[in-house]
Amino acid sequence: MENISYIGETLWPGSLGHFCIVLGFVAALIGVAAYALQVKTDKTDSDNQSWRLLGRFAFTIHTISTFAIIGLLFYMMGSKMYEYHYVFNQVSNDLQDRYIFSAFWGGQEGSFLLWMFWHCVLGMILIFKSGTWEAPVMAVLSSIEVFLSSMLLGVYLPWGESQAKIGSSPTSLFRDVMDAPIFANADYLSMIEGSGLNPLLQNYWMTIHPPTLFLGFASVAIPFCFAIAGLWTGRHKEWLKPALKWSLFSCAIFGTGILMGAAWAYEALSFGGYWAWDPVENASLVPWLFLLAGLHTNLIAKATGHSIRATYILYLMGFVFVVYSTFLTRSGILGDTSAHAFTEMGLEWQLAGFVAFFALLGKFFLLKNYRSIPVPEKEEKFSSKEFWMYIGSIILFFSGVLIIGATSLPVFNKIYTVFDPEFAGYAITDPEEHYNRYQLWIGVFIGLISGVAQFLRYRSLNWDSHKSTFAKEVGISLVLSAVLTFFIARTLYTSSFQYSLLLFAGLFTLISNIYFLVVKGRGNSSLMASAVSHAGFGIMVVGILFSGINKGYITSNPFAMKDIVVEEKESNYVSLLKGEKMFSKGYWMTYLGDTLSGNVRTYDINFKKVNEDNETIEEFNLNPTTVYTNDFKRIAANNPSTNHYFNKDIFLTIAGLPKHLQDVEFAKEMEDSLTYELFSGTLSDTFSTARNFGVIRSITFEPEHEDLDREEYDLVLGVNVTLMDSTNRIVEDVQPALALKGGLIYQYPAHIDPLNTRVKVDENFFSEVFTQESTLDYDDIKLKEGGSVDWKGYEVKLNGFNRTPEHKNYEQEEGDIAIAANLDFYRNDIIEFTAKPIFVIRDSQRFSIKDYLHIPGVHTRFSNIDPASGEMEFLFGQDKRDFQSVPLVFAENVPRSDFISIEGIVFPFINLVWLGCIMMMLGLTIGLFKRFGQPA
Amino acid sequence: MKKSHIVIFLMIVAGIALLFSATGDLSTYSTFATAEDSGARVKIAGELVLEKDIIFDPLKDPNYTGFHLKDADNRIKEVVLLKAKPQDFELSEQVVVTGSMQQGKFVANEVLTKCPSKYKDEEMALRKQG
Repeated sequence: MENISYIGETLWPGSLGHFCIVLGFVAALIGVAAYALQVKTDKTDSDNQSWRLLGRFAFTIHTISTFAIIGLLFYMMGSKMYEYHYVFNQVSNDLQDRYIFSAFWGGQEGSFLLWMFWHCVLGMILIFKSGTWEAPVMAVLSSIEVFLSSMLLGVYLPWGESQAKIGSSPTSLFRDVMDAPIFANADYLSMIEGSGLNPLLQNYWMTIHPPTLFLGFASVAIPFCFAIAGLWTGRHKEWLKPALKWSLFSCAIFGTGILMGAAWAYEALSFGGYWAWDPVENASLVPWLFLLAGLHTNLIAKATGHSIRATYILYLMGFVFVVYSTFLTRSGILGDTSAHAFTEMGLEWQLAGFVAFFALLGKFFLLKNYRSIPVPEKEEKFSSKEFWMYIGSIILFFSGVLIIGATSLPVFNKIYTVFDPEFAGYAITDPEEHYNRYQLWIGVFIGLISGVAQFLRYRSLNWDSHKSTFAKEVGISLVLSAVLTFFIARTLYTSSFQYSLLLFAGLFTLISNIYFLVVKGRGNSSLMASAVSHAGFGIMVVGILFSGINKGYITSNPFAMKDIVVEEKESNYVSLLKGEKMFSKGYWMTYLGDTLSGNVRTYDINFKKVNEDNETIEEFNLNPTTVYTNDFKRIAANNPSTNHYFNKDIFLTIAGLPKHLQDVEFAKEMEDSLTYELFSGTLSDTFSTARNFGVIRSITFEPEHEDLDREEYDLVLGVNVTLMDSTNRIVEDVQPALALKGGLIYQYPAHIDPLNTRVKVDENFFSEVFTQESTLDYDDIKLKEGGSVDWKGYEVKLNGFNRTPEHKNYEQEEGDIAIAANLDFYRNDIIEFTAKPIFVIRDSQRFSIKDYLHIPGVHTRFSNIDPASGEMEFLFGQDKRDFQSVPLVFAENVPRSDFISIEGIVFPFINLVWLGCIMMMLGLTIGLFKRFGQPA
Repeated sequence: MKKSHIVIFLMIVAGIALLFSATGDLSTYSTFATAEDSGARVKIAGELVLEKDIIFDPLKDPNYTGFHLKDADNRIKEVVLLKAKPQDFELSEQVVVTGSMQQGKFVANEVLTKCPSKYKDEEMALRKQG
């Protein structure tokens, strides 16, 4: 294929982009070396800053190249350069401009770029703001960038017999990535169009969630960098302060990113919940938990000097597990344990290397300096705040370990198969139940500890005098929450004591933190930060309990499954027929219909809540949607619809649709597979079909059909027919139609769902109404201008001429002599219509252009002019229309197309989950702002 | 011994205890034969048998999907899924069902489908356009 010179390719952005990738990679490497040398120099000669300048220069070059790649990729995507593999995959001609960002980071390469983008931004801030920490911190950050850049290199190195792929470049040409026959064609670009962004990702969540989450990912690296820097320089106490600020920032942003993911899953995807313990969700939650644990030990360390080692370990693990989660989600190893779709890049080993390098780097620095990390001689007291905060951090850490352990089962399986290729692999039978059962206890401990610890003081300050106040404050909180738990627990649909205990723990931390805020925290922003976030945790726990345990279905099917014995039959879906009411769980539900706009079909379902007397208490409509793939062949996504109340959500998702709405090809196949039978109906008389009855009411020349797009000269014909079943319970008026467009007859069938029937007008009927020229009997008519003649009940008058006639069948040529006659057809002295046949002389040839008025069925021709007598010769013809019956063809086994299967879930108090989460993020943000003004 | 060490020690003990108790939640990917023998709730990964009909008639019962699955031993059994048919079910390369054998049928209430990778989509797209 080397010899082909391809047409229409734009190669410069790809070449330039790839150059920038390599430049950025090299610049990051230089950055590592230069900053590392500066760290070394600082130990002997702190005045020499030359390496630092080189490091800055290198990182700036790296940043510029990264921005340049991003810019170029946007340009390539915006210009729809499908010669590039990434562009082909992410963009299509019909992609709306507002989804260009989603398309950019919808693929692996783009999301790596997004991640790098944030590292560059954070790196630039660090260069200016981190003072003496710049060299070691930026050395580590640059090393992370070396690895991320390498993910985009897209080069192949010889590896034994085969090749090892290093990175996957967004600037790769499609024809280099894939070997397909189409690339033998020099003009292949004119034949392809981008496959485009998965419609599932074409929504605003995809625009805001990834940048937030990746800023979260990127920011977790900063406490990691500071931790390494602290170990490297031996400044074990000084690093705690800047690290705390970054860690607060990271916890807030990363947490918001995860929360957005949960909200997206709940609002826009049909998972039926906000958290499913899916490996992808777990993989991002765990590093956040580690970081949060680190944040708490960091606070202890800053206040008391305890837990510096723990802080190091937790911050190091936070970032290592961000990289590990990247490995899990992008290597394809999760396979069939996750509902998320993964595209494999063939970079598993490179990703594993990424994880290994930073795990070993952290371990190396930690072990080398572990002994030199200061530990206070005096132990924490039981009565000190730091002791219980430390316990809390360990519990958070423990929670993360449990989650990631279970999530990593596929990794374990993979390693095991190296030793035993026959090994089938372990899986958790019911993941959600498993995680809930264990994490429940984490929630209990965190709730209790965070409630108590709030009233304690660092270093047990003045414990003896403080003791009684502490007992009073905790006592009041305990009693209040116990009483509340007693009442509220009864409303939970469960008798398990664990849930009551969790409810108690949640209420306890909520009440004690509010109490604390009121008694002590007013005006003190640092106390407020902690109180707000812990109260938020309590609210979240209560919300999770209610929305999870008291979750109920408003759709249940009483007629399901009688022939199969099943211990526990859940029937949470119902099917609704269009226009037919169905009652379930206090609601009348009616499927009103659907509308298609673009590639989104919106369904309208009405809900009426009634009381015992069947009076409507409340009425609302829900509008779930289905989104079709860009080529319209199948459904890409079902989007739920939710009605929000302050105390609950009613959540509706589509569980099933008629097949022809799901699959366009099926609709065609179905039409082909139907067997039609002919039944002729006499006008205004009842006729019977194979299964039903019909009456032909009339014939119309102006039928209406949703698919019929009538143009000026089309001949259209519709039949008004009433169809009914044998019991006369179902009676439907329909209007199948035929149309002649450009010489072809088109069918416009009518569909009667309740009768499973599709009816068409037989095409032969067309010529019975509109007589063809060959079978037409013309009458010769002679007329003078102003004269008149009686013909078939009309009085026809020749009312002048038009020398510049226009007619659909006549195209004027130069030298033509054309005259149209105006023939007015009168009936009872009223003009019914006017015919305008044309007489043409072209190149001494005479011919006539017929005028046909299809509604009265009158054909007129202007055949000759006798200049001597002044008589005009015409031919008049009349459509026969002597039919006694109308031939109709019926298919009477057509699947219904007018139903929808739905699942309706009520989530009580789900707003508490969101409120609690938002309060946690708010608390972190308050803490961040309090420390914002302080120097790094 | 320091208090924090005691706590960490307790955590490790608790961790090991949990690990043992959690093994009850685990199962290897099973086959119809072992599911039949044990009667327990298991996960079976297999291939959808497209030659047999996939029964899903939402008008009759949207909570019932019937199909045939070929397990790792190449044994084909009827599976009853007590849910609506998942989207793009016919296209899936691999189906993982969670449930148990009941009266000769595998009755499942959880399902995960693995769809063909994007790479194949690309090939398809190209083939169609080319």
